[in-house]
Amino acid sequence: MTTVTKERPTAPGPELPTVPDSRRRLRPYILSLPALLVVVGILYPFVLGAYYSILNYAAANPNPEVVWFANFASVLADSDFWTSVRITAVFAIAATVIETVLGVGIALLLNRSSFVGKIFEKVLILPLMIAPVIAGVMWKLMFNPQFGVLNYVLGLGSSFDWLSKNLALWSSILVDVWTYTPFVAILVLAGIRSLPREPFEASEVDGASWWYMFRRLMLPMMWPYILVAVIFRFMDCLKAFDSIFVLTAGGPGLATRTLQIGAYEDSITFQNYSRGSTYMFLLWIIVFITARYLVKVLGKAQRRAAGAEEE
Amino acid sequence: MARSWSRRELLRAAGLAAGAAITAPALSACGVGGTTEHPNGANAVSGGFDWRKASGQTVRLLQTPHPYQQSFQPLLTEFTDLTGIEVVVDLVPEGAYFTKLNTELAGGSGAHDVFMVGAYFIWQYGPPGWMEDLKPWIDNPAATNPDYDFEDIFEGLRTSTAWDFQLGSPLGSGGQWAIPWGFENNVICYNKAFFDQRGIKPAEDWGNFQQLAIDLTDRAQNRYGVTFRGSKSWATIHPGFMTQYSRMGFKDYTFANGELQAGMNSPEAIEFQKQWVDLARVAGPTSWTTYEYPNCTTDLGNGNAMMCYDADSATYPKNKPGASAQAGNLAWHPGPAGPDGSYATNLWTWSLAMNSAAKNKLPAWLFIQWATGKEAMSKAVPAAFADPTRQSVFDGAFKQTLGAFPGYLEAFETVVNSSKIQFTPQTKFFETTQGWAVALQDIYSGEDAAERLSSFASTAQSKVNV
Repeated sequence: MTTVTKERPTAPGPELPTVPDSRRRLRPYILSLPALLVVVGILYPFVLGAYYSILNYAAANPNPEVVWFANFASVLADSDFWTSVRITAVFAIAATVIETVLGVGIALLLNRSSFVGKIFEKVLILPLMIAPVIAGVMWKLMFNPQFGVLNYVLGLGSSFDWLSKNLALWSSILVDVWTYTPFVAILVLAGIRSLPREPFEASEVDGASWWYMFRRLMLPMMWPYILVAVIFRFMDCLKAFDSIFVLTAGGPGLATRTLQIGAYEDSITFQNYSRGSTYMFLLWIIVFITARYLVKVLGKAQRRAAGAEEE
Repeated sequence: MARSWSRRELLRAAGLAAGAAITAPALSACGVGGTTEHPNGANAVSGGFDWRKASGQTVRLLQTPHPYQQSFQPLLTEFTDLTGIEVVVDLVPEGAYFTKLNTELAGGSGAHDVFMVGAYFIWQYGPPGWMEDLKPWIDNPAATNPDYDFEDIFEGLRTSTAWDFQLGSPLGSGGQWAIPWGFENNVICYNKAFFDQRGIKPAEDWGNFQQLAIDLTDRAQNRYGVTFRGSKSWATIHPGFMTQYSRMGFKDYTFANGELQAGMNSPEAIEFQKQWVDLARVAGPTSWTTYEYPNCTTDLGNGNAMMCYDADSATYPKNKPGASAQAGNLAWHPGPAGPDGSYATNLWTWSLAMNSAAKNKLPAWLFIQWATGKEAMSKAVPAAFADPTRQSVFDGAFKQTLGAFPGYLEAFETVVNSSKIQFTPQTKFFETTQGWAVALQDIYSGEDAAERLSSFASTAQSKVNV
């Protein structure tokens, strides 16, 4: 009986240097090392924050003890915290909805390539190039009733207060909408331009109306892109701080005190580090649960757009 | 038979082990779980006094680019020539200054030897041991120039920066945690040109002041009577509000039965606070709840606000030629006296303090001593305006700079002997005082004053006594 030895086929060309087995075995671990360092870098502040939240650490108490869940009980029993939850939710939902509707509308308009559209496309990105703090400062000047441009242009006189208790939250939303609607528009526009042309041409031949094509073809195919924008904006809005803090510092009263501003006040202004960390940890739980849910919805939408799942 | 680990399992285990190994020491290294005691450095200095005792060393300063700092910046080379000490200055904008300072002091790194601080911050930074007590340094003749003359600094300022951190103890007791470097009195700055045109004089009492502010208001002309701060910050309470509140005879807290009792909910105090908020609504800036001092002084300089109840040195720059539309038209007045003629005034002082974790304590003290001394302060005053903290400098160099500022000197002299920190010292100052500002904002937005202030007083009282 003869045995046939199978030889590994070799590609023609120069011979590659041989790598010793020990190095070959080590390679995956070495390649994983940067990822491990990044994970540790991300986790360290998180673990530290979580650790602070079970201490009673404050400037007035530099020798803290573990108090376990006392901070959570105290924060959850505080009506100011629930006011902040409500304000954060209203801000995040309203800003995301308005930015998404406007962003999609602008993207649809820009998709009709025209000379004006091309110029607008370039201008649109400008608010995104401005730091939110600077946007807050600019808008605060414009909102000023004494010398601000808004009251002057709209003929509201010097007694209309954009940052009064009833309007402050909506004025903050307006600033966020001004800053981030272009982000949604650009993301959705990129999505629209990547859609296949054939289904639209076929519908046009069949005599479908614009509205029918938008509703039945474009929207379902665009949905994953819209959802990506929604996820980004909603997560960001839940963590809103900079422009609101510049505009109102969370006031008047508690009218614009988002969870982030509450955490800042406790940690930095009042130097109660453990209470501030508890706020942040609770905010993280909210963001984490919401993100998980939205990512699940996105996955479903992507499968549906690809025709892999029935409606 | 021993089970061999897959690569994935090995990586997972290594990650967990590394995470645990890194986390434990890292958590204890981040300052949680105990503070380090820093012995006072004054006792280590012996022999005779000599400015060049620390020659060749370096002092690191953390400062904010405020007029006080700017007035001293050109003089730093003189300090180096005198002492042989190199000065390294790190500047942080005012908006972020205390965040940076808090973080650094809490970390205990001692990266900066000297820092600028306000009196209220001592109540927060002092108890954890972050600040060096400067009294042993002042008392040590080997460390302090015999000509230093600490008593020349206004008494209200010296006491405002000293406390023993005991609940109920008055300011002035205990250690000297900072040396006042420049300060501000909260008085009225008004548009004298407009007043003269109409034949109006500044009001001398609270009732007339309210009426005057209302009479000066004409929203159709974009003109209103008086501007003062209203933003959601402790800084809303400390200038004009606390000054007038004190002149009316009210206290924030009184010490009785071993604890602080809130005083802002007495019927008389509630009535005054209601009047203050009403004044903001009827004769103040429209967006009062966002107003910080730059907004107030801008409106004064633009001619929108006819009076401003804030720091004298904050309004001063608006009268400099070309600095504002109303430059040259402004004048100063002590503001309304209390019912008993009181000119009690709340002050702000930028002071110099030493980090207890400082690496270069002798150079740090020599710098503080030089900067708060008569010679350097006299040179700094004309360069950029700041109320000097020394009587001798006030009588000398300072008076010569005030020619074109009508009423400034008179207002200063009227209030200076009653000017001090009018708040009761307590470690929850920022939390409770911001809470007070929030209560005023809520009243401004329509909440019942008595109800809101009673609720605030109860919360504040429970916090300050913890």
